[in-house]
Amino acid sequence: MLEPFRIHDCALIVRMGGVPDAMNLRELRDRVVTCPPECLYHHFCETLLRATFDDPEFRNDFAVWASRALHDRALAEQLGVIDPYTFDDREALRAEVLDIIADRLHELPMVPWAKRGEEFNFMRAVTVVFDTGHDITEPSDLPGAIERMTRSSLYYHFVEARRRTDGGTDDFSTWLSAGDGEAKALIQALQSVDFYFLTLGELKTKLIQVTRRALNKGGQR
Amino acid sequence: MSISLAAYTDVVGAPAIEQLHQLADDLAGMRVVHVNSTKSGGGVAEILSWLIPLMNELGLDASWEVIEGNAPFFDVTKSMHNGFQGNPVDLSDEAKAAYIETNVSNAERLRPILEGADFVFIHDPQPASQIELTPHRRGKWIWRCHIDASHPSRSVWKFVSQFARQYDASIFSMPQFAKSLPHPQFIIAPSIDPLSEKNRELAPGEIKSVRDRFGLDPKRPILTQISRFDRFKDPLGVVRAFRTLQIDPRPQLVLAGGGATDDPEGQMVLDEVRKAADGDPDIHILFLPGDAHTTINALQRASDIILQKSTREGFGLTVTEGLWKAKPVLGGDTGGIRLQVFNYHTGFLVNTPEGAAHRIRYLLQHRERMRAMGRKGREFVRENFLLTRHLREYLTLMLGLKQELRDHLAA
Repeated sequence: MLEPFRIHDCALIVRMGGVPDAMNLRELRDRVVTCPPECLYHHFCETLLRATFDDPEFRNDFAVWASRALHDRALAEQLGVIDPYTFDDREALRAEVLDIIADRLHELPMVPWAKRGEEFNFMRAVTVVFDTGHDITEPSDLPGAIERMTRSSLYYHFVEARRRTDGGTDDFSTWLSAGDGEAKALIQALQSVDFYFLTLGELKTKLIQVTRRALNKGGQR
Repeated sequence: MSISLAAYTDVVGAPAIEQLHQLADDLAGMRVVHVNSTKSGGGVAEILSWLIPLMNELGLDASWEVIEGNAPFFDVTKSMHNGFQGNPVDLSDEAKAAYIETNVSNAERLRPILEGADFVFIHDPQPASQIELTPHRRGKWIWRCHIDASHPSRSVWKFVSQFARQYDASIFSMPQFAKSLPHPQFIIAPSIDPLSEKNRELAPGEIKSVRDRFGLDPKRPILTQISRFDRFKDPLGVVRAFRTLQIDPRPQLVLAGGGATDDPEGQMVLDEVRKAADGDPDIHILFLPGDAHTTINALQRASDIILQKSTREGFGLTVTEGLWKAKPVLGGDTGGIRLQVFNYHTGFLVNTPEGAAHRIRYLLQHRERMRAMGRKGREFVRENFLLTRHLREYLTLMLGLKQELRDHLAA
């Protein structure tokens, strides 16, 4: 018998990262060496919760800056493909970013600069987590519950959970794993979602789809 | 008149409202005081007029105090404002003395209120020195800078920063505006109230009546810039752009704005704009009272294109208002306008009067594109720049400060 899953939500407030702005690629490299890991996390992962107009071409801020401010498309592509969730920890992620920047600096005849006003601003965020007072009692309720969840709640349980949990997995899978094995298809469905390149709206739609499909197949509807 | 939070459910959805109540639970009963320098006119006063009642509805004990100043004080603070936005301003000793004197006289009245508060938000430079005039403060003090402070005059920043650095935290509208200060600096974009008189839906009759009142012809395009008569809003550049347009039917230009009690330069700029318009019957220069919100709402809704051709801008709430009314916006390529106007999506960023004229002609020839931009702009504002998001960030900031800003907190 599964304990009910308590739905939490979160709110972010963005703050300056306490690192000087980078005006060129060499400065970016130097700042990435020393910036707090929370800055890396923010620029790779918390971008999902920020005000953006459209579906951005690149998911992390370093790639966006390389493209828009340095006009270096090759560098943007190399940085843009980094999936931060494939690294064991943030130091490994930092090393990968530094490797790519160092290679690019080696290739280029001169250091690319950003225009004044387009410097890279290092940021981080404070996340406040709060209890919504709502529970999910049965695995079969999951798609409906996801449908009613705010985007930030979905972010907290499905994306941010990977930073919080030892197994680096989402909270729904962790909850379902504590059951008697009947929810195996549901866990597989959740873990099959390649979420990093989805917006939160797209992620919601995708999760509803895959969990409904898994429940239908497993006859748990 | 204050509006209940529940009334926003239709606009932003029930979960967004529920979220605010959940966040505010842990702040119930906290005493929050906001201080600025004007009760009406300008974006700050507008924000505070909805923020205070909504914080109270959520169970906080919030109030709004206004510092009172004389003409010399507001001359100084206007210079400071201009200096923040990059004008070469050298504050004289007399100017600094006038600033200090007004703050000292206000401190006598404000001190008991501010000393007992859990959170004090001081808005912009005008009341910034209140912090050192309140030695026995017990709460967290936050300096909220609404101005584009990316390249301030050295003299002005040197003077203001001696106060700013004493705060527990500061808030800027964009990362580019943040300064080097010895405390956490937060980024909160401003917002609009979709149910206020300035933004609520209007009946066609209300729009028609305002159009008729100002003699605007509904058969010809209407281009509108709503803003204070301030050099950084570049009303003269807008007149120049309009004069460049040689198209048929000839559009009509509306330049409408009110004064703010803390802006002594307004009349001077208004006179210059009138001179530049040179009696052109298609240029409507309207100096509106500070409470003409419905009129402004109707003018924006009656327009085909909204202009905000600023050369410096903190955020540009008139841009947000225009987008919310589903209008394409031509905005100066500066400050917070860049966060809102995206070429070919919600409008165009322009750098010169010629650029503005060029984009106006383009848009008037692409009516379906204008409508598509309008639809996109409205949804963009709904997601990002309505007061519910703004209020959520204030609550999150207070919770964060209350718990000493660990990166991950439980409310």
